[in-house]
Amino acid sequence: MSDFAAKKHSGLDGAASRSGRSAGSRLGTGLLYVILGVLAFLQVYPLFWLFLFSLKTNQEVFGASPFALPQDPQWGNYAKAWTQGHINLYFLNSVWYTAAAVFLTIILASFVTFAITRMYWKLNRLVLGLFMIGLMIPLHSTLIPLFSFFKNVGLIDNPLSIILSYTAFNLPLTIMILLGFYQTLPREIEEAAVMDGCSVHRIFFRITLPLTTPVIATTAIINMIYNWNEFVFVNTFINSDRLKTLTVGVNSFVGQYLTDWGAIGATLIISIVPILIAFLVLSNRIVEGMAAGSVKG
Amino acid sequence: MKTVMSNKWAIALYVWPALLLIGCLIYVPLVMTGYYGLMDWNGFAPKRFIGLENYGRLMQDSMFWKSTYHSFLLGIFSTLSLLLYLAVSLVLASRIKGADLFRKIYLIPMLLSSVAIAQLWSKIFDPSNGMINSLLISLGVENPPLWLSDPNIVLFSIFIPIIWQYAGFYIIIYYAALKNVPEEVVEAARIDGASPLQIALRVKLPLISSVFKVTIVLALVGSLKYFDLIYVMTGGGPNHASEVMASYMYGEAFTKYNFGYGSAIGFALLIICLIVTWLIRKLTTSKDDYQY
Amino acid sequence: MSKKKALPILLSAALILILILSGCSSSEPTAKGSGTNAAGGGQTVVKFMHLWPEGSSNAQYKIVDNIIKEYESEHPDVKIQTEILGNDQYRDKIKVLASSNELPDVGMTWSDGFLQPYVEGNLFTPLDDVIDANLKDAFIPGVKESYAVDGKTYGMPLELNISYVFYNKEIFEKYNLAVPKTFEEFKTAVKTLNDNGVIPATVGNKEGWPGSFWFMYLADRIGGPTILTDVIDGKTKFDDPAIVQAATEVQNLVDMNAFEKGNSGLSNDEAKGYFMNEQAAMFLTATWELPNYTTSPDVDQAFKDKIGYFKFPLYDGGKGTDINSYVGGPGVGLFVAENSKVKEAAKDFAAFLVKEWGERSVTEAGVIPATKVDTEGKDLNPMYTEILNDLNGASNVTTYFDTQASPNVAELHHDLVSALFGKQITPQDFVKQTQEALDAER
Repeated sequence: MSDFAAKKHSGLDGAASRSGRSAGSRLGTGLLYVILGVLAFLQVYPLFWLFLFSLKTNQEVFGASPFALPQDPQWGNYAKAWTQGHINLYFLNSVWYTAAAVFLTIILASFVTFAITRMYWKLNRLVLGLFMIGLMIPLHSTLIPLFSFFKNVGLIDNPLSIILSYTAFNLPLTIMILLGFYQTLPREIEEAAVMDGCSVHRIFFRITLPLTTPVIATTAIINMIYNWNEFVFVNTFINSDRLKTLTVGVNSFVGQYLTDWGAIGATLIISIVPILIAFLVLSNRIVEGMAAGSVKG
Repeated sequence: MKTVMSNKWAIALYVWPALLLIGCLIYVPLVMTGYYGLMDWNGFAPKRFIGLENYGRLMQDSMFWKSTYHSFLLGIFSTLSLLLYLAVSLVLASRIKGADLFRKIYLIPMLLSSVAIAQLWSKIFDPSNGMINSLLISLGVENPPLWLSDPNIVLFSIFIPIIWQYAGFYIIIYYAALKNVPEEVVEAARIDGASPLQIALRVKLPLISSVFKVTIVLALVGSLKYFDLIYVMTGGGPNHASEVMASYMYGEAFTKYNFGYGSAIGFALLIICLIVTWLIRKLTTSKDDYQY
Repeated sequence: MSKKKALPILLSAALILILILSGCSSSEPTAKGSGTNAAGGGQTVVKFMHLWPEGSSNAQYKIVDNIIKEYESEHPDVKIQTEILGNDQYRDKIKVLASSNELPDVGMTWSDGFLQPYVEGNLFTPLDDVIDANLKDAFIPGVKESYAVDGKTYGMPLELNISYVFYNKEIFEKYNLAVPKTFEEFKTAVKTLNDNGVIPATVGNKEGWPGSFWFMYLADRIGGPTILTDVIDGKTKFDDPAIVQAATEVQNLVDMNAFEKGNSGLSNDEAKGYFMNEQAAMFLTATWELPNYTTSPDVDQAFKDKIGYFKFPLYDGGKGTDINSYVGGPGVGLFVAENSKVKEAAKDFAAFLVKEWGERSVTEAGVIPATKVDTEGKDLNPMYTEILNDLNGASNVTTYFDTQASPNVAELHHDLVSALFGKQITPQDFVKQTQEALDAER
């Protein structure tokens, strides 16, 4: 009980504790935690489920109860994913395509957003509009034209076609998210910097970029997840096995007539580990960045 | 200030690389899509120019309008669910214990690829062995809903995983925005005796309104061109009951080899997105906002 | 000041650009065309794309891999370069490649409706010369013709699939059911199973084609073995009373609860689960499922022992009076690209693959090949031997309606079958809409 009181004491902006330890507020806090807990369960259960799924046979996957534990855990699914799914081969490709595209997207998007929101020029709204339109084209409309474009510039079966596509297609989204944040940045800091004789580039790299670390971490997470799970571009533009990515490994278990669901589950579990770690690391940057920013501000 | 911040060289340097990239990889395909939309083309036989015939057909294609309607419904639901995401984010961004853990957990579904999500939700929705229906049957419900087979409810069934999947996406954006709100402002309000709810609604919310407006556009445009889960889970069926614009386009272009017509649908989708974005901007822009 | 600072950045940007461009040019030799250029050492490179990844189709993958190795050792000057994709990815990619005229030298195609647009687009090359030279009389009669357009053959078939009703013998015995010979007997069995709380038959209609098996067999039994082919050829209309009758019988079965609930939202794999877990007694599917009931190491032997099969029952008063008339169709076959620069080598390799595939596919992968196989003296599972013998005694094999039809009509057919099973349309609308689509293409 005292433990609960302590928890409540530090809860809810501290204001709750000041406004009295009424039963109502205590109930409210408890209820809030129940709701948050239920939501958390709904969001985390899939990961657990996927893990069970990865240990099942095809027969069990379509068996009576999706809640059931695997009768005889099929660790062999992992071996299969590793050897027949060629995960070892695809893994590094996934990592470096994702990393390169995320880096490129964020730096280019930051450039553009900075130029559009902080600098003075006539066509900024038009240029912004051009990027926004990029958000609206359905992916499958672009496949055939993109293929012939890459063919003409000799980029078929070249990792660059993947990295550049990821970057181009994530730029509009990234710019839009950045935009909302740049608009909340106070201009006073830049004005002071200009007074001190800073150049544009110095302002961008030394002031604006560090100030926007939280949103950069946010967009990095979003970009990373999108690129990591993408397969339409890889499937279309890459021919050589040695250049393909993990998602291709997943799809190689979908057969003409038979699909090996257990192995798919195992591949998915293996492929989710690195991104989960990267997410947890980046996720902390959202808060840290804020702290660092407020020191400067 | 103005002279430094209107350096033409710097602007060009910052904008051109990105512009060049989307020029090649988005605008070239976009123009090509518009061009293919004027053709009778199956994807590889010689093209035949037919002018606006595809668009004429589009206007009278009841299936297209049905799928457009479905896409708009998804757009409305997605936009409404933003409020839910925002509420959760506001709670998490207040100094509640364990917020950090909750925030991380909430993003997990986003990490899963569509293949995994589709599998999970097929297991949830399965008509007799599924998680929901086996529960309902054990509770004595004789004819539980056929979530993905009943044409009257399939569309709403399929919205649930989509909204669930995107929770993390918006929560993380809102969370970062809320964390960006200067601590001094919140502190000042607290000293004035504002309750946490008041701080959330009166202080924080207005400060992140620009982010919120952006997410409205993202949710709407994202929904209008949404494809993944619908394609994997229902394929737009049964009998087109869950068809959306992007899945209809894919079916025409890739399954039925009507690439010309598929391109016209893709182009129409783009136009519809443009109009919607313009309307949203009209409705939400205040004078200091930038155009998007 | 700022201009001076801009210079290094400009330079580095230029450097990146140069890097990118050099990346392009260095990739040029490998990325060129469909790999049709001769590689170093005077070797001919033949690009081959197939859809049997090691993960999902291990047996098929190994057979193809071994055949390639043998071919390469027999032809040291030829190198076979493979690209392997999953089924759906293969279907998508082949279209994109075709649109840029970048097809691999040898690849896989489906018959009839799938192949037609590629032939019309002049993308596949006729293979009659190489078939006559290497594979004369090798194919099961009628299969090769599914890959022919205007008298020329554009594909060499590999697989042949025949649809049967597979059933759980244990469940049948438990309720004293005999294998139904007529549709009336079948209905009685359905009723008995239903009364005992067993799902009589499972079907997944999300994609439509599994339900179409039921419709096609009923059309065959009611309207005679040629009726659906006649529709495609324009000799009969789809709104023929026999076809309406077949569609009505489908809905009668639905009304009797012959199928699991909500089947129009289930994929074939999900529906199959009901049969594999013995919740459903019957499953009308094709011979590609055979390994699951015979040789597959992933399935319980106890389950495999319970599974038998029977031919689709006859319909009282129907025109199709021969139970040895089947619904089936060739699966994938091989094409050679018209613009291949190594056409002769590609043709030779394709013929070699088809020839070698036949016997090995039965013994090693447990599938039915499109080429004739002598079962004498081979240690085969009895179910295979029986089915291969059935095939020899087949009076007719009607190619799947969706395979015969154009992609447009096939898609519509899938949608309509799904709606028919879901009772969202009447049999009359079902035939009317299909006929309209067929008329639109004439």
